[in-house]
Amino acid sequence: MNGTGMTGTARIGPVDANPYKWPYDGSVPAAHTALICIDWQVDFCGPGGYVDRMGYDIGLTRAGLPATARLLAHTRAAGMLVIHTREGHTPDLTDLPANKRWRSAQIGAEIGSAGPAGRILVRGEPGWEIVPEVAPVPGEVLIDKPGKGAFYATQLDLVLRTRRITHILLTGITTDVCVHTPMREANDRGYECLILSDCTGATDPDNHRAALHMVTMQGGVFGCVADSESVISATTWSDS
Amino acid sequence: MTTLDADPGPYTFDLASTALVIIDMQRDFCEPGGFGEALGNDVGRLRVVIEPLRRVLAAARAVGMTVVHTREGHRPDLTDCPPAKLNRGHPSLRIGDPGPKGRILIRGEYGHDIIDELAPVPGETVIDKPGKGSFHGTSFGELLAERGITSLIVTGVTTEVCVHTTVREANDRGYECLVLSDCVGSYFPEFQRAGLAMIAAQGGIFGWVAPSPEFLTALDTAPNLQEVAS
Repeated sequence: MNGTGMTGTARIGPVDANPYKWPYDGSVPAAHTALICIDWQVDFCGPGGYVDRMGYDIGLTRAGLPATARLLAHTRAAGMLVIHTREGHTPDLTDLPANKRWRSAQIGAEIGSAGPAGRILVRGEPGWEIVPEVAPVPGEVLIDKPGKGAFYATQLDLVLRTRRITHILLTGITTDVCVHTPMREANDRGYECLILSDCTGATDPDNHRAALHMVTMQGGVFGCVADSESVISATTWSDS
Repeated sequence: MTTLDADPGPYTFDLASTALVIIDMQRDFCEPGGFGEALGNDVGRLRVVIEPLRRVLAAARAVGMTVVHTREGHRPDLTDCPPAKLNRGHPSLRIGDPGPKGRILIRGEYGHDIIDELAPVPGETVIDKPGKGSFHGTSFGELLAERGITSLIVTGVTTEVCVHTTVREANDRGYECLVLSDCVGSYFPEFQRAGLAMIAAQGGIFGWVAPSPEFLTALDTAPNLQEVAS
Protein backbone atom coordinates (compact mmCIF):
# COMPACT_ATOMS: atom_id res chain seq x y z
CA MET A 1 0.00 0.00 0.00
CA ASN A 2 1.32 3.43 -0.80
CA GLY A 3 -1.92 4.98 0.44
CA THR A 4 -1.81 8.30 -1.34
CA GLY A 5 -0.17 7.99 -4.74
CA MET A 6 -2.54 7.24 -7.62
CA THR A 7 -0.68 4.19 -8.91
CA GLY A 8 -1.25 0.46 -8.69
CA THR A 9 -4.62 -1.13 -8.05
CA ALA A 10 -7.45 0.99 -6.70
CA ARG A 11 -10.23 0.06 -4.29
CA ILE A 12 -13.29 2.08 -3.39
CA GLY A 13 -14.84 2.13 0.06
CA PRO A 14 -16.01 2.31 2.63
CA VAL A 15 -17.50 5.58 1.36
CA ASP A 16 -19.09 8.00 3.81
CA ALA A 17 -22.62 7.69 2.41
CA ASN A 18 -26.25 7.82 3.46
CA PRO A 19 -27.86 5.67 4.90
CA TYR A 20 -24.88 3.31 5.32
CA LYS A 21 -21.14 3.15 4.62
CA TRP A 22 -21.11 2.20 0.94
CA PRO A 23 -20.80 -0.47 -0.34
CA TYR A 24 -22.72 -3.01 1.75
CA ASP A 25 -19.79 -5.42 1.43
CA GLY A 26 -17.18 -2.99 2.74
CA SER A 27 -15.12 -2.08 -0.30
CA VAL A 28 -14.82 -3.00 -3.94
CA PRO A 29 -11.96 -3.11 -6.46
CA ALA A 30 -12.21 -0.28 -8.97
CA ALA A 31 -12.00 -2.97 -11.66
CA HIS A 32 -15.44 -4.25 -10.58
CA THR A 33 -16.99 -0.81 -10.38
CA ALA A 34 -18.49 1.25 -13.19
CA LEU A 35 -19.08 4.97 -13.33
CA ILE A 36 -22.21 5.61 -15.37
CA CYS A 37 -22.63 9.13 -16.72
CA ILE A 38 -26.23 9.55 -17.73
CA ASP A 39 -27.51 11.76 -20.53
CA TRP A 40 -25.12 14.70 -20.22
CA GLN A 41 -26.43 15.75 -23.64
CA VAL A 42 -26.73 19.16 -25.26
CA ASP A 43 -30.48 18.55 -25.55
CA PHE A 44 -30.71 18.35 -21.74
CA CYS A 45 -28.02 20.70 -20.45
CA GLY A 46 -26.62 22.66 -23.39
CA PRO A 47 -27.72 26.06 -24.62
CA GLY A 48 -30.38 25.68 -27.34
CA GLY A 49 -31.13 22.05 -26.50
CA TYR A 50 -34.43 20.33 -25.79
CA VAL A 51 -34.69 21.29 -22.11
CA ASP A 52 -33.61 24.85 -22.82
CA ARG A 53 -36.38 25.08 -25.42
CA MET A 54 -38.93 23.79 -22.90
CA GLY A 55 -38.21 26.93 -20.90
CA TYR A 56 -36.40 25.39 -17.94
CA ASP A 57 -33.27 26.90 -16.35
CA ILE A 58 -30.36 24.82 -17.68
CA GLY A 59 -28.26 26.14 -14.79
CA LEU A 60 -30.06 23.46 -12.76
CA THR A 61 -29.14 20.61 -15.11
CA ARG A 62 -25.58 21.93 -15.56
CA ALA A 63 -24.95 22.22 -11.81
CA GLY A 64 -23.38 18.76 -11.55
CA LEU A 65 -20.96 19.15 -14.47
CA PRO A 66 -17.84 20.43 -12.62
CA ALA A 67 -18.02 17.71 -9.94
CA THR A 68 -18.70 15.04 -12.56
CA ALA A 69 -15.68 16.17 -14.60
CA ARG A 70 -13.49 15.86 -11.46
CA LEU A 71 -14.91 12.44 -10.62
CA LEU A 72 -14.43 11.29 -14.23
CA ALA A 73 -10.73 12.19 -14.09
CA HIS A 74 -10.43 10.32 -10.80
CA THR A 75 -12.21 7.18 -11.96
CA ARG A 76 -10.22 7.09 -15.22
CA ALA A 77 -7.02 7.19 -13.17
CA ALA A 78 -8.38 4.44 -10.93
CA GLY A 79 -9.04 2.19 -13.90
CA MET A 80 -12.77 2.09 -13.45
CA LEU A 81 -15.05 1.23 -16.37
CA VAL A 82 -16.69 4.45 -17.60
CA ILE A 83 -20.04 4.23 -19.36
CA HIS A 84 -21.90 7.12 -20.96
CA THR A 85 -25.58 6.93 -21.87
CA ARG A 86 -27.48 8.99 -24.40
CA GLU A 87 -31.26 9.15 -24.70
CA GLY A 88 -32.37 9.37 -28.30
CA HIS A 89 -34.13 7.74 -31.20
CA THR A 90 -33.20 6.48 -34.65
CA PRO A 91 -33.75 9.05 -37.42
CA ASP A 92 -36.82 7.16 -38.72
CA LEU A 93 -38.27 7.22 -35.17
CA THR A 94 -39.21 3.54 -35.35
CA ASP A 95 -38.07 3.13 -31.73
CA LEU A 96 -40.17 6.05 -30.47
CA PRO A 97 -43.35 4.99 -28.63
CA ALA A 98 -46.37 6.90 -29.92
CA ASN A 99 -47.27 8.28 -26.52
CA LYS A 100 -43.73 9.60 -25.91
CA ARG A 101 -43.87 11.44 -29.23
CA TRP A 102 -47.34 12.79 -28.51
CA ARG A 103 -46.37 14.08 -25.08
CA SER A 104 -43.24 15.81 -26.37
CA ALA A 105 -45.37 17.54 -28.99
CA GLN A 106 -47.83 18.68 -26.30
CA ILE A 107 -45.05 20.59 -24.55
CA GLY A 108 -43.73 22.17 -27.74
CA ALA A 109 -40.58 20.07 -28.23
CA GLU A 110 -41.68 17.18 -30.43
CA ILE A 111 -39.05 14.47 -30.67
CA GLY A 112 -37.81 14.30 -34.27
CA SER A 113 -38.81 17.87 -35.07
CA ALA A 114 -36.25 20.53 -36.01
CA GLY A 115 -34.82 22.22 -32.91
CA PRO A 116 -32.09 24.76 -32.40
CA ALA A 117 -29.49 21.95 -32.10
CA GLY A 118 -30.74 19.69 -34.87
CA ARG A 119 -33.66 17.25 -34.74
CA ILE A 120 -34.70 16.90 -31.11
CA LEU A 121 -33.48 13.69 -29.39
CA VAL A 122 -32.46 12.06 -32.67
CA ARG A 123 -29.23 10.05 -32.77
CA GLY A 124 -26.40 11.78 -34.62
CA GLU A 125 -27.77 15.31 -34.20
CA PRO A 126 -25.71 18.01 -32.43
CA GLY A 127 -28.24 18.29 -29.60
CA TRP A 128 -27.98 14.57 -28.88
CA GLU A 129 -24.19 14.70 -28.38
CA ILE A 130 -22.61 14.72 -24.93
CA VAL A 131 -21.45 18.16 -23.76
CA PRO A 132 -17.66 18.74 -23.96
CA GLU A 133 -17.14 19.05 -20.19
CA VAL A 134 -17.74 15.30 -19.67
CA ALA A 135 -17.23 13.96 -23.21
CA PRO A 136 -16.24 10.30 -23.59
CA VAL A 137 -12.64 9.36 -24.41
CA PRO A 138 -11.65 6.40 -26.61
CA GLY A 139 -12.23 3.08 -24.87
CA GLU A 140 -15.26 4.19 -22.89
CA VAL A 141 -18.62 2.55 -23.46
CA LEU A 142 -21.52 4.43 -25.03
CA ILE A 143 -25.04 3.16 -24.45
CA ASP A 144 -27.80 4.57 -26.63
CA LYS A 145 -31.20 4.17 -25.03
CA PRO A 146 -34.72 4.91 -26.24
CA GLY A 147 -36.20 5.38 -22.77
CA LYS A 148 -35.60 6.84 -19.35
CA GLY A 149 -34.07 3.61 -18.10
CA ALA A 150 -30.66 2.45 -19.34
CA PHE A 151 -31.27 -1.32 -19.20
CA TYR A 152 -34.44 -1.69 -21.25
CA ALA A 153 -33.74 -2.25 -24.97
CA THR A 154 -29.97 -1.75 -24.54
CA GLN A 155 -26.84 -3.88 -23.98
CA LEU A 156 -25.96 -2.27 -20.65
CA ASP A 157 -26.58 -5.39 -18.57
CA LEU A 158 -24.53 -7.51 -20.99
CA VAL A 159 -21.65 -5.01 -20.88
CA LEU A 160 -21.69 -4.90 -17.07
CA ARG A 161 -21.75 -8.67 -16.71
CA THR A 162 -19.07 -9.17 -19.35
CA ARG A 163 -16.79 -6.75 -17.50
CA ARG A 164 -17.70 -8.38 -14.15
CA ILE A 165 -19.09 -5.16 -12.75
CA THR A 166 -20.92 -5.56 -9.45
CA HIS A 167 -20.98 -1.96 -8.16
CA ILE A 168 -22.18 1.19 -9.89
CA LEU A 169 -21.62 4.91 -9.34
CA LEU A 170 -24.26 7.14 -10.93
CA THR A 171 -23.97 10.70 -12.21
CA GLY A 172 -26.09 12.58 -14.69
CA ILE A 173 -29.39 14.22 -15.39
CA THR A 174 -32.10 14.44 -14.48
CA THR A 175 -31.99 13.07 -10.95
CA ASP A 176 -35.62 12.03 -10.69
CA VAL A 177 -36.09 10.79 -14.26
CA CYS A 178 -33.12 9.33 -16.15
CA VAL A 179 -30.83 8.77 -13.16
CA HIS A 180 -33.46 7.27 -10.84
CA THR A 181 -34.86 4.91 -13.46
CA PRO A 182 -31.56 3.08 -14.21
CA MET A 183 -30.70 3.11 -10.51
CA ARG A 184 -33.96 1.24 -9.87
CA GLU A 185 -33.30 -1.12 -12.79
CA ALA A 186 -29.74 -1.79 -11.59
CA ASN A 187 -30.89 -2.33 -8.01
CA ASP A 188 -33.48 -4.92 -9.07
CA ARG A 189 -30.69 -6.69 -10.99
CA GLY A 190 -28.53 -6.90 -7.87
CA TYR A 191 -25.96 -4.17 -8.60
CA GLU A 192 -24.86 -2.20 -5.56
CA CYS A 193 -25.52 1.46 -6.45
CA LEU A 194 -24.29 4.81 -5.21
CA ILE A 195 -25.76 8.05 -6.55
CA LEU A 196 -23.52 11.14 -6.35
CA SER A 197 -25.58 14.06 -5.09
CA ASP A 198 -23.31 16.80 -6.45
CA CYS A 199 -23.03 15.08 -9.86
CA THR A 200 -26.75 15.14 -10.57
CA GLY A 201 -29.41 17.76 -11.17
CA ALA A 202 -33.01 18.22 -12.23
CA THR A 203 -35.24 20.79 -13.86
CA ASP A 204 -37.26 20.87 -10.63
CA PRO A 205 -35.20 21.33 -7.43
CA ASP A 206 -37.93 19.74 -5.29
CA ASN A 207 -37.89 16.59 -7.42
CA HIS A 208 -34.08 16.53 -7.19
CA ARG A 209 -34.19 16.67 -3.39
CA ALA A 210 -37.04 14.17 -3.09
CA ALA A 211 -35.34 11.73 -5.47
CA LEU A 212 -32.13 11.73 -3.42
CA HIS A 213 -34.08 11.38 -0.17
CA MET A 214 -36.10 8.42 -1.51
CA VAL A 215 -32.91 6.43 -2.06
CA THR A 216 -31.97 6.63 1.61
CA MET A 217 -35.24 5.32 3.06
CA GLN A 218 -35.88 1.82 4.41
CA GLY A 219 -32.18 1.21 4.98
CA GLY A 220 -31.26 2.21 1.41
CA VAL A 221 -34.08 0.89 -0.72
CA PHE A 222 -32.20 1.59 -3.97
CA GLY A 223 -28.66 1.93 -2.57
CA CYS A 224 -26.90 4.99 -1.13
CA VAL A 225 -26.27 8.72 -1.64
CA ALA A 226 -22.87 10.41 -1.24
CA ASP A 227 -20.96 13.33 -2.73
CA SER A 228 -18.13 12.88 -5.19
CA GLU A 229 -15.44 14.00 -2.73
CA SER A 230 -16.40 11.13 -0.41
CA VAL A 231 -15.74 8.65 -3.22
CA ILE A 232 -12.43 10.28 -4.12
CA SER A 233 -11.25 10.31 -0.50
CA ALA A 234 -12.39 6.69 0.02
CA THR A 235 -10.18 5.45 -2.83
CA THR A 236 -7.04 3.57 -1.79
CA TRP A 237 -4.19 2.29 -3.94
CA SER A 238 -2.01 -0.77 -3.57
CA ASP A 239 1.02 -1.82 -5.58
CA SER A 240 -0.05 -5.40 -6.10
CA MET B 1 -62.60 4.68 -26.19
CA THR B 2 -63.17 6.31 -22.83
CA THR B 3 -61.68 9.59 -21.61
CA LEU B 4 -61.30 11.03 -18.13
CA ASP B 5 -59.81 14.17 -16.61
CA ALA B 6 -56.28 13.60 -15.35
CA ASP B 7 -53.06 15.42 -14.67
CA PRO B 8 -51.39 16.70 -16.89
CA GLY B 9 -54.27 16.23 -19.40
CA PRO B 10 -57.11 13.94 -20.47
CA TYR B 11 -56.40 10.19 -20.33
CA THR B 12 -58.02 8.04 -23.00
CA PHE B 13 -58.25 4.27 -22.84
CA ASP B 14 -60.03 1.31 -24.41
CA LEU B 15 -61.30 -1.16 -21.79
CA ALA B 16 -60.38 -4.19 -23.90
CA SER B 17 -56.71 -3.19 -23.98
CA THR B 18 -56.49 -1.89 -20.40
CA ALA B 19 -55.44 -3.75 -17.27
CA LEU B 20 -55.91 -2.87 -13.62
CA VAL B 21 -52.58 -3.49 -11.88
CA ILE B 22 -52.59 -3.84 -8.09
CA ILE B 23 -49.06 -3.72 -6.72
CA ASP B 24 -47.88 -5.45 -3.55
CA MET B 25 -50.99 -5.11 -1.37
CA GLN B 26 -49.42 -7.76 0.84
CA ARG B 27 -50.04 -8.47 4.50
CA ASP B 28 -46.41 -7.80 5.40
CA PHE B 29 -46.60 -4.27 4.04
CA CYS B 30 -50.18 -3.31 4.92
CA GLU B 31 -51.23 -5.09 8.10
CA PRO B 32 -50.55 -4.23 11.72
CA GLY B 33 -47.98 -6.65 13.12
CA GLY B 34 -46.29 -7.23 9.77
CA PHE B 35 -42.80 -6.61 8.41
CA GLY B 36 -43.51 -2.99 7.44
CA GLU B 37 -44.72 -2.11 10.90
CA ALA B 38 -41.81 -4.02 12.50
CA LEU B 39 -39.47 -1.65 10.63
CA GLY B 40 -41.17 1.26 12.39
CA ASN B 41 -43.55 2.32 9.64
CA ASP B 42 -47.13 3.51 10.16
CA VAL B 43 -49.20 1.01 8.16
CA GLY B 44 -52.21 3.30 8.53
CA ARG B 45 -50.71 5.40 5.75
CA LEU B 46 -51.02 2.39 3.41
CA ARG B 47 -54.37 1.15 4.71
CA VAL B 48 -56.15 4.32 3.54
CA VAL B 49 -55.92 2.99 -0.01
CA ILE B 50 -57.79 -0.26 0.74
CA GLU B 51 -61.33 1.16 0.58
CA PRO B 52 -60.95 3.16 -2.66
CA LEU B 53 -59.00 0.31 -4.21
CA ARG B 54 -61.67 -2.21 -3.22
CA ARG B 55 -64.25 -0.08 -5.07
CA VAL B 56 -62.00 0.16 -8.16
CA LEU B 57 -61.39 -3.58 -8.12
CA ALA B 58 -65.12 -4.33 -7.85
CA ALA B 59 -65.87 -1.98 -10.75
CA ALA B 60 -63.09 -3.48 -12.89
CA ARG B 61 -64.42 -6.98 -12.24
CA ALA B 62 -67.97 -5.87 -13.05
CA VAL B 63 -66.96 -4.68 -16.52
CA GLY B 64 -64.67 -7.64 -17.19
CA MET B 65 -61.34 -5.79 -17.22
CA THR B 66 -58.06 -7.66 -17.03
CA VAL B 67 -56.83 -7.58 -13.42
CA VAL B 68 -53.22 -8.31 -12.42
CA HIS B 69 -51.91 -8.48 -8.86
CA THR B 70 -48.22 -8.40 -7.97
CA ARG B 71 -46.36 -9.61 -4.89
CA GLU B 72 -42.77 -8.83 -3.96
CA GLY B 73 -40.98 -11.86 -2.56
CA HIS B 74 -38.33 -14.50 -2.94
CA ARG B 75 -37.91 -18.26 -3.19
CA PRO B 76 -37.50 -20.00 0.16
CA ASP B 77 -33.82 -20.74 -0.66
CA LEU B 78 -33.23 -17.04 -1.53
CA THR B 79 -31.51 -17.94 -4.81
CA ASP B 80 -33.34 -15.04 -6.45
CA CYS B 81 -32.38 -12.48 -3.81
CA PRO B 82 -29.33 -10.35 -4.72
CA PRO B 83 -26.74 -10.17 -1.89
CA ALA B 84 -26.93 -6.37 -1.98
CA LYS B 85 -30.67 -6.51 -1.28
CA LEU B 86 -30.28 -9.08 1.47
CA ASN B 87 -27.39 -7.51 3.37
CA ARG B 88 -27.34 -3.78 2.87
CA GLY B 89 -27.85 -1.43 5.76
CA HIS B 90 -27.45 -4.20 8.36
CA PRO B 91 -31.19 -4.50 8.83
CA SER B 92 -32.62 -5.72 12.12
CA LEU B 93 -34.93 -7.97 10.14
CA ARG B 94 -33.63 -9.59 6.97
CA ILE B 95 -35.50 -11.14 4.06
CA GLY B 96 -35.99 -14.80 4.94
CA ASP B 97 -35.84 -14.24 8.71
CA PRO B 98 -38.75 -15.47 10.81
CA GLY B 99 -41.17 -12.55 11.10
CA PRO B 100 -44.48 -11.95 12.79
CA LYS B 101 -46.39 -13.36 9.79
CA GLY B 102 -43.96 -16.06 8.65
CA ARG B 103 -40.57 -15.78 6.93
CA ILE B 104 -40.19 -12.24 5.68
CA LEU B 105 -40.88 -11.70 1.96
CA ILE B 106 -40.81 -15.42 1.21
CA ARG B 107 -43.26 -16.86 -1.29
CA GLY B 108 -45.86 -19.07 0.28
CA GLU B 109 -45.69 -17.45 3.70
CA TYR B 110 -48.80 -15.87 5.22
CA GLY B 111 -47.33 -12.36 5.33
CA HIS B 112 -46.28 -12.52 1.69
CA ASP B 113 -49.84 -13.02 0.46
CA ILE B 114 -52.33 -10.34 -0.55
CA ILE B 115 -54.65 -8.89 2.09
CA ASP B 116 -58.11 -10.48 2.29
CA GLU B 117 -59.91 -7.27 1.25
CA LEU B 118 -58.24 -7.40 -2.20
CA ALA B 119 -57.63 -11.13 -2.60
CA PRO B 120 -57.45 -12.29 -6.22
CA VAL B 121 -60.34 -14.32 -7.64
CA PRO B 122 -60.03 -17.11 -10.22
CA GLY B 123 -59.04 -15.72 -13.61
CA GLU B 124 -56.90 -12.93 -12.19
CA THR B 125 -53.16 -13.22 -12.63
CA VAL B 126 -50.72 -12.93 -9.75
CA ILE B 127 -47.18 -11.90 -10.72
CA ASP B 128 -44.47 -12.79 -8.23
CA LYS B 129 -41.56 -10.41 -8.58
CA PRO B 130 -38.11 -10.44 -6.96
CA GLY B 131 -37.58 -6.68 -7.26
CA LYS B 132 -39.33 -3.36 -7.01
CA GLY B 133 -40.28 -3.31 -10.68
CA SER B 134 -42.94 -5.70 -12.04
CA PHE B 135 -41.22 -6.35 -15.40
CA HIS B 136 -37.71 -7.46 -14.45
CA GLY B 137 -37.43 -11.19 -13.72
CA THR B 138 -41.14 -11.88 -14.35
CA SER B 139 -43.50 -12.74 -17.19
CA PHE B 140 -45.52 -9.54 -16.69
CA GLY B 141 -44.49 -8.06 -20.08
CA GLU B 142 -45.30 -11.28 -21.93
CA LEU B 143 -48.68 -11.51 -20.19
CA LEU B 144 -49.61 -7.96 -21.22
CA ALA B 145 -48.47 -8.54 -24.80
CA GLU B 146 -50.40 -11.79 -25.05
CA ARG B 147 -53.59 -10.12 -23.82
CA GLY B 148 -53.10 -7.12 -26.13
CA ILE B 149 -52.87 -4.72 -23.18
CA THR B 150 -51.51 -1.25 -23.97
CA SER B 151 -52.86 0.81 -21.04
CA LEU B 152 -52.34 0.24 -17.33
CA ILE B 153 -54.38 1.57 -14.42
CA VAL B 154 -51.81 1.43 -11.64
CA THR B 155 -52.59 1.09 -7.93
CA GLY B 156 -50.94 -0.31 -4.80
CA VAL B 157 -47.95 0.34 -2.57
CA THR B 158 -45.64 2.00 -2.09
CA THR B 159 -45.99 5.00 -4.35
CA GLU B 160 -42.33 5.97 -4.62
CA VAL B 161 -40.83 2.47 -4.63
CA CYS B 162 -42.71 -0.38 -6.31
CA VAL B 163 -45.42 1.70 -8.00
CA HIS B 164 -42.90 4.18 -9.40
CA THR B 165 -40.44 1.54 -10.57
CA THR B 166 -43.20 -0.37 -12.37
CA VAL B 167 -44.58 2.78 -14.00
CA ARG B 168 -41.08 3.75 -15.17
CA GLU B 169 -40.55 0.28 -16.68
CA ALA B 170 -43.98 0.35 -18.33
CA ASN B 171 -43.53 3.85 -19.71
CA ASP B 172 -40.23 2.97 -21.42
CA ARG B 173 -42.03 0.01 -23.00
CA GLY B 174 -44.71 2.30 -24.44
CA TYR B 175 -47.58 1.50 -22.06
CA GLU B 176 -49.92 4.35 -21.14
CA CYS B 177 -50.09 4.46 -17.36
CA LEU B 178 -52.75 6.12 -15.25
CA VAL B 179 -51.90 6.19 -11.56
CA LEU B 180 -54.92 6.48 -9.25
CA SER B 181 -53.78 8.97 -6.62
CA ASP B 182 -55.98 7.72 -3.77
CA CYS B 183 -55.27 4.05 -4.56
CA VAL B 184 -51.49 4.33 -4.15
CA GLY B 185 -49.91 4.83 -0.76
CA SER B 186 -46.63 5.57 0.93
CA TYR B 187 -45.39 5.37 4.50
CA PHE B 188 -44.07 8.92 3.92
CA PRO B 189 -46.40 11.83 3.01
CA GLU B 190 -43.49 13.72 1.41
CA PHE B 191 -42.88 10.87 -1.03
CA GLN B 192 -46.58 10.38 -1.75
CA ARG B 193 -46.69 13.99 -2.89
CA ALA B 194 -43.35 13.99 -4.74
CA GLY B 195 -43.98 10.58 -6.31
CA LEU B 196 -47.27 11.67 -7.84
CA ALA B 197 -45.82 15.03 -8.94
CA MET B 198 -42.92 13.33 -10.74
CA ILE B 199 -45.25 11.17 -12.84
CA ALA B 200 -47.18 14.10 -14.27
CA ALA B 201 -44.19 16.48 -14.55
CA GLN B 202 -42.87 17.70 -17.92
CA GLY B 203 -46.09 17.00 -19.75
CA GLY B 204 -46.57 13.58 -18.13
CA ILE B 205 -43.07 12.20 -18.38
CA PHE B 206 -44.12 8.85 -16.90
CA GLY B 207 -47.88 9.00 -17.39
CA TRP B 208 -51.06 10.42 -15.94
CA VAL B 209 -52.51 10.86 -12.42
CA ALA B 210 -56.19 11.05 -11.39
CA PRO B 211 -58.26 10.25 -8.29
CA SER B 212 -60.25 7.02 -8.47
CA PRO B 213 -63.74 8.65 -8.62
CA GLU B 214 -62.75 10.03 -12.04
CA PHE B 215 -61.92 6.52 -13.19
CA LEU B 216 -65.11 5.03 -11.70
CA THR B 217 -67.24 7.66 -13.44
CA ALA B 218 -65.50 6.90 -16.73
CA LEU B 219 -66.13 3.17 -16.28
CA ASP B 220 -69.85 3.88 -15.97
CA THR B 221 -69.84 5.18 -19.53
CA ALA B 222 -67.57 2.46 -20.95
CA PRO B 223 -69.06 -0.51 -22.79
CA ASN B 224 -69.22 -3.64 -20.62
CA LEU B 225 -66.75 -6.11 -22.09
CA GLN B 226 -68.78 -9.13 -21.05
CA GLU B 227 -71.93 -7.76 -22.70
CA VAL B 228 -69.98 -6.87 -25.83
CA ALA B 229 -68.59 -10.39 -25.93
CA SER B 230 -71.91 -12.18 -25.39
